[in-house]
Amino acid sequence: MGNVTSAVLVLIERCGKGGFEPLSLQCLELGRRVAGELGAKLTATLLGREVRSAAEELRHYGVDGVGVAEHPALDAYNPEAWAAALLRVIHQLQPRLVLMGDTPTAADLAPRVAFALGAGLVTDCVNIEVDAGEPLFTKPIFSGNAMAVYASSTGVTLATLRSGSDDAAARREQAAGDITEVEVEIRPGQAPVECVESIWEEEDGVSLGQAAVVVSGGRGIGGAEGFALLSALARILGGAVGASKPAVDCGWITPAAQVGQTGTVVAPSLYIAVGISGAMQHLSGMLASKVIVAINKSPDAPIFGIADYGVTGKYEEVIPAFTDAIAQWRA
Amino acid sequence: MHIIVCVKQVPDPESSPARFVVDEQARRVEPRGVPPVLNPFDENALEAALRMKDVHGDGAAVTILTLGHKLSTNLMLKTLGAGGDRLVRIEDDAFAQGQLDVYATCLAIAAAVRKIGPYDLILVGEQAADSNDRQAGVGMAHVLGIPVVTMASNLELRDGALWADRRLANRRERVKCPLPAVVAVSSDGAGLRYPSLVQLKAARSKPAQIWNAQDIGFDAQSSDRRLALRRIYAPRPQQRDCVMIGAESGEQAGRMLAAKLREDGVL
Repeated sequence: MGNVTSAVLVLIERCGKGGFEPLSLQCLELGRRVAGELGAKLTATLLGREVRSAAEELRHYGVDGVGVAEHPALDAYNPEAWAAALLRVIHQLQPRLVLMGDTPTAADLAPRVAFALGAGLVTDCVNIEVDAGEPLFTKPIFSGNAMAVYASSTGVTLATLRSGSDDAAARREQAAGDITEVEVEIRPGQAPVECVESIWEEEDGVSLGQAAVVVSGGRGIGGAEGFALLSALARILGGAVGASKPAVDCGWITPAAQVGQTGTVVAPSLYIAVGISGAMQHLSGMLASKVIVAINKSPDAPIFGIADYGVTGKYEEVIPAFTDAIAQWRA
Repeated sequence: MHIIVCVKQVPDPESSPARFVVDEQARRVEPRGVPPVLNPFDENALEAALRMKDVHGDGAAVTILTLGHKLSTNLMLKTLGAGGDRLVRIEDDAFAQGQLDVYATCLAIAAAVRKIGPYDLILVGEQAADSNDRQAGVGMAHVLGIPVVTMASNLELRDGALWADRRLANRRERVKCPLPAVVAVSSDGAGLRYPSLVQLKAARSKPAQIWNAQDIGFDAQSSDRRLALRRIYAPRPQQRDCVMIGAESGEQAGRMLAAKLREDGVL
């Protein structure tokens, strides 16, 4: 058994509607397993303006404790304020491991905190296992063409977890664990970077990372017009449109739509790949999808090997008929 | 204004998986016949620098900094052809794949930046397609002791400061940052402009320095590492049993696919 006072700390983010970020709950599930193997406690932490009631709710997710840091400056993500607060939490709770979801917030926050602590950081982990008391971190490298397993030599290590790597922790009837308040001191104007304007983004359609259905097109789409067919299908399914890098490079669709290791990593319940042959770079960013449908001209396309349903044919004929059929039931 | 853009050479991420040979014994990835490309994320950083140069003309000098092993001269010329003014190419066996972790890499790049001399901005991409670390920008800023803006776009140099949009979880901020600073440029930019043949030819006469680890005062042996690579293996994407929808025509296949997905409770 490891040191009983050591802890695995999981940063819990909240989504717009006020619930917990699903990926944060996946981190909690992985954190519980790792903490068990390390003989460590599982502690969740919440940062925000007022997070007391959220902390109470978190006690239903199988944690040994919840660390909360409250401050008006922590209301929405602010790099310098959040980094200062998380550092305080880490100093007070002395975890051995700090886990967070591989979210836009963590992409900025995790390295700030890791470098401030002199700690190792492994981003984009798909698994953490414990070998002889030592945590080992698995992540894709070379655009998903290889998996690397790292050990960290620092006293505390940070890791971000890729979406879909674990199930989300389930809510339990029973609440447990104490809530620890962590004092944070954030002086306004302390940060060198000054925000002069803040624009809250109205979601334009469904965001790619969160969509339950993603309809993606690749080089086989042949032009921007083809993406209009995919958009129509995505609209009817309440999903988002994605793309492979070659389609983005051709200028047929915005770079923000790129799915893959060098774009957005997605794990929807339904992924429809159209005219995508399947470079690992792309596959690595969508393999965790629950159901994968591939539509491709070439029966030899590697994408069929990882798909649940496949159609060999011209997408210009398949997609409109497919869309119409769905529209008819939905009507 | 002096802008340093850090670019990394990586094996083309779009190449077929079969060409990335994973050597478990040597703990390295051997790209076989995979062409080297500029890290796609760094192309956005270089484009952001060139757009500032479009505005400021000769008032903004762009230095391309690259650090690696077995670098492609043609690839580096492409960065100068696209509009970079000067190339600093640091090549050493000490920088071969797997020799440095991301922390040691930050130390090495910071050493190179110090040797290059006074600068106002250091631009990097959000991540490298090969090592997939996503922390070099923040790390370099930490080592150099200067501020950092991540996920940045629409960069502007005005009144002796940097102005940029930074993308956060559910909002965008216009921020003002004192110089010098590190900027990790967001990857939803437009990608790098194509140099013309004339520009590529002219690139050959632009100043280029070639240094090694010793030249920048970087001692790979005594530099700390925080992460150690224990194991490497080829991913085995779980093969799924693909139900192929056979049909007389595309239209029929589309209708049959919809029916099948509905029958299986997917839709």
